Amino acid sequence: MALLYLALGTVFGFVLSRSGAADYNYIQAMFLFTSFQLYGIIGTAVAITAPGLWLIKRYGRTVAGRPIVVPLKPQHRGNIAGGILFGIGWSICGMCPGPIFVNIGEGKIYAIAALAGALAGAGLFGAIYTRIQSAFRLPRLVVGTGRT
Amino acid sequence: MPLILNGLAPIHWAIAGAGIALITLALLFIANRRLGISTGFEDVCSFVLPIGYFTRDAVRLARGWRLPFIAGLAFGGFLSAMLGGGWAPIWSLGIFDQVIGFGHAGKLAWMFVGGLFIGFGTRLADGCTSGHGIFGLSNFELPSLISTLSFLAAGIVTTQLIYRVVFHL
Repeated sequence: MALLYLALGTVFGFVLSRSGAADYNYIQAMFLFTSFQLYGIIGTAVAITAPGLWLIKRYGRTVAGRPIVVPLKPQHRGNIAGGILFGIGWSICGMCPGPIFVNIGEGKIYAIAALAGALAGAGLFGAIYTRIQSAFRLPRLVVGTGRT
Repeated sequence: MPLILNGLAPIHWAIAGAGIALITLALLFIANRRLGISTGFEDVCSFVLPIGYFTRDAVRLARGWRLPFIAGLAFGGFLSAMLGGGWAPIWSLGIFDQVIGFGHAGKLAWMFVGGLFIGFGTRLADGCTSGHGIFGLSNFELPSLISTLSFLAAGIVTTQLIYRVVFHL
């Protein structure tokens, strides 16, 4: 299975690389409203994924016959606060998380610094989770049940 | 507008969007996985930070797919360069070089600071452009709509401030 994930990731990375989604200029042009490219990409992706997802959920099983499980994300105050912080970072780096890895693969040296920052930021969040949990109404940590 | 990578012409947005949709659907239909990349930061952290948040089942049990998927993202970028004019380490950063133009050290510091926002923000929002923006919106999830509007708005405001107020294009 690891090879399947590697293959899907590779195709995804190639598409992000060649479409402008992993390109600093295109990200800024999206936020400056001077290019439609990224809005077109995200819009098309959602417009096709939504009916496909509906069909797969209606079918209810994977291609191998296992029941489809779609874990839902919780709603809390962090959606807005975290979204704003991430948007600032997206603009500064010209990369969202996927393209950080794509840019590293493309040979863009500065993307390594973006990854280091992202890992540090995620590490910091994990370290202070229990302290900011009630302020943002974050969910309780589920540890050690053996289930996702 | 050519890409920074080897000055390549980008593929059409409709084709790119369709490709992303097909990969998202394949992940779910073949492997029963919900597309999401920023949780991968936790997967990496979980190897070095054995604290509560990173020992969550959601992290521990997903490393087996998300880490090879992320490795694929980097490999896809590498292939894209190799097949499109050749791979070489590069520093070029498009309009940043023309308008802001810090040296190498400044660029690394800029990226590290941006990365901090990305890492902390995506964990607090519980997702990024893929998990909230593509999958969550396609699944009509309200937290994903709220998060996506928040990060798009913040990105627009930040870039407008950087390139129209502080520095001038």
